[in-house]
Amino acid sequence: MGQTEGNASPLLEVRDLRMHFPVKEGIFLRTGKYNKAVDGVSLHIAPGETLGLVGESGCGKSTLGRCVTRLYNPTGGQILFDGHDITHLKGRELKPLRQDIQMIFQDPMESLNSRHTVGDILSEPFIIHKIGNRKARQKRVLELLEIVGLPARSATRYPFEFSGGQRQRIGIARAIALNPKLIICDEPVSALDVSIQSQIMNLLIDLQKEFNLSYLFIAHDLAVVKHVSDRIAIMYLGKLVEEGPGQTIYEKARHPYTQSLISAIPIPDPRHHLQRQVLVGDVPSPINPPSGCAFHPRCPKVMDECRSNTPRLLPLKEADAEPGQQVSCFLYK
Amino acid sequence: MNLRLNPQTIKKLRRFRQIKRGYFSFLVLALFLVLCLFGELLVNDRAIAVKYEGEMYFPTYGAFHPGTDFGLNYQYEVNYRDLKVLFEQQGGDNWVMMPPVPYSPFENDSASGVFRPEAPNFDARHFLGTDSTSRDILARLFYGTRTALIFSLGFMICVYIIGVAIGCAMGFFGGWFDILCQRLIEIWSNIPFLYMVIIVFSVIPAAYSIPIRIAILLIVMVLFSWTSMTYYMRTETYKEKVRDYVAASRVMGASNSRIIFRHILPNVLATLVTFMPFTIVSAVTAITALDFLGFGLPPPTPSLGELLKQGTANLRTAPWIVTSAFTTLVILLTIVTFIGEAIREAFDPKKYTVYR
Repeated sequence: MGQTEGNASPLLEVRDLRMHFPVKEGIFLRTGKYNKAVDGVSLHIAPGETLGLVGESGCGKSTLGRCVTRLYNPTGGQILFDGHDITHLKGRELKPLRQDIQMIFQDPMESLNSRHTVGDILSEPFIIHKIGNRKARQKRVLELLEIVGLPARSATRYPFEFSGGQRQRIGIARAIALNPKLIICDEPVSALDVSIQSQIMNLLIDLQKEFNLSYLFIAHDLAVVKHVSDRIAIMYLGKLVEEGPGQTIYEKARHPYTQSLISAIPIPDPRHHLQRQVLVGDVPSPINPPSGCAFHPRCPKVMDECRSNTPRLLPLKEADAEPGQQVSCFLYK
Repeated sequence: MNLRLNPQTIKKLRRFRQIKRGYFSFLVLALFLVLCLFGELLVNDRAIAVKYEGEMYFPTYGAFHPGTDFGLNYQYEVNYRDLKVLFEQQGGDNWVMMPPVPYSPFENDSASGVFRPEAPNFDARHFLGTDSTSRDILARLFYGTRTALIFSLGFMICVYIIGVAIGCAMGFFGGWFDILCQRLIEIWSNIPFLYMVIIVFSVIPAAYSIPIRIAILLIVMVLFSWTSMTYYMRTETYKEKVRDYVAASRVMGASNSRIIFRHILPNVLATLVTFMPFTIVSAVTAITALDFLGFGLPPPTPSLGELLKQGTANLRTAPWIVTSAFTTLVILLTIVTFIGEAIREAFDPKKYTVYR
């Protein structure tokens, strides 16, 4: 059984998760180095809660999501779902889990097979899990279409006959088809127009209320995440640098990286002059990460300690600190 | 399942029809294939219909009629051409309807009794003349082309099944299996195919029946040709399997076989369709070349290569042999190539390319 934390036992608990991809080199494809896409991440999601996971491209947030859905086999650590260890389940053992954890992908054109009709796509989960006969499946498909706000005639059409937002609705309908408990949203709106983004976000929020879903909401845009998330986790180069309640992160970000991300959010006011904290340089390679704190080469407040020692994600000890906020930085000891 | 075709497929078909050269080539080939189905009614030494003593006979298909059936004095099969002449001389109600080309590809028909090539003669209905053993060239061309096409279709199907299965497995499972298969395929494809055919045919006993010898030839050709198919299949599968729709299917709990057969294969096969006509072209070329060298279809099976061989041997004295065989081969290969180009163009996602 999983440890209980706070008042509710978490639906998903990730402990010190590591996903190291071997980098093959030379003509004999020997594994010399590892790409440490996810390197010791711990987080938890309560039932009905949304955890926003934010980070730059290549920081490992999608990899983390795919580890949780067990598309990848994690190198180390533990994933507990509903108290059960699912880290090393294989093949058939995974099948019951597939109903509970679903995923929404970034690009709906990529995640929908263009050779199948929408009806085929939406009935696939029922076929795989042998639920209902053909009639029942068709009925359920129409229900799903209605839930996500698409006309019933969509069932006989093909994905490319829809707009981006409609396609993402199909992707969402597929994800909720089996009544999952947790949905990994892997940048579900970053491929969409801004005007469509809010529609899709609202749909996700409505569905959450209706079906008591938990979301792991992955995005690279803090503004998008803030809209849906109860808590937000900031990821940098395979590690969490800060985690806490959404409002707290937004208003009282502690980690220098989070602060620079927050300062980059545009404010719709022409008289407002942004005090941008622009980061210099690029994200270092996860194959060869910097020593000490991975962020130190780009950190505006870098200290000597940061170069040699690796900080850990710890709760804030200050008197005025909000509960639940954790930071991985030597500035706050 | 709904019967509605995928609109992308409809679009491809429409574009194929718009490419006139390919579309007409396709119609011609389709017409020829239909004619081949009824080939025995068009080119045959048996009559289409015989009326004798008030009764109708249709000897094309079914058992042979001994000469006594039609009031002749011999027990072997009726010579319907002679019968036709006889009935016409007799007058009366009896008649014989012969096919347009009243010769079988195997019979030696020489007016002089000496087997030698004879020039085209419309009165004798040898429209393209006869070959060096007095067999009708048009009949041999017709059945030779039919055999070559059927052989190539069978060849293509076998090559596709083996190549697709192995290539897909390599791409899907990857890793050591892939590396091992790749190396084996590289070694295998470096064995010279022609020498293998020659060796195999010098070993198998001549006592084997013709269908078995043709089957052996097909197997040998397929064994040395499937490898190129795996290259396309392997890379395409690698490309498709990392796409998100496969991941989505996996997250839903789909099995490997479901992912391969429902998701990857339909997406990959569309591109492989474009290779089909070219596979047929290469098969026709290969079988003709083998026949020409004498290692192909066993005699007396009619074949283009065998006619070309005769034709080159009798180039001075009987130029009509090589002319007709060569023309047929060129037309056949051109037509199939045109179809192939049109399919490739119709399947090309970049619409405005040069060919049209």
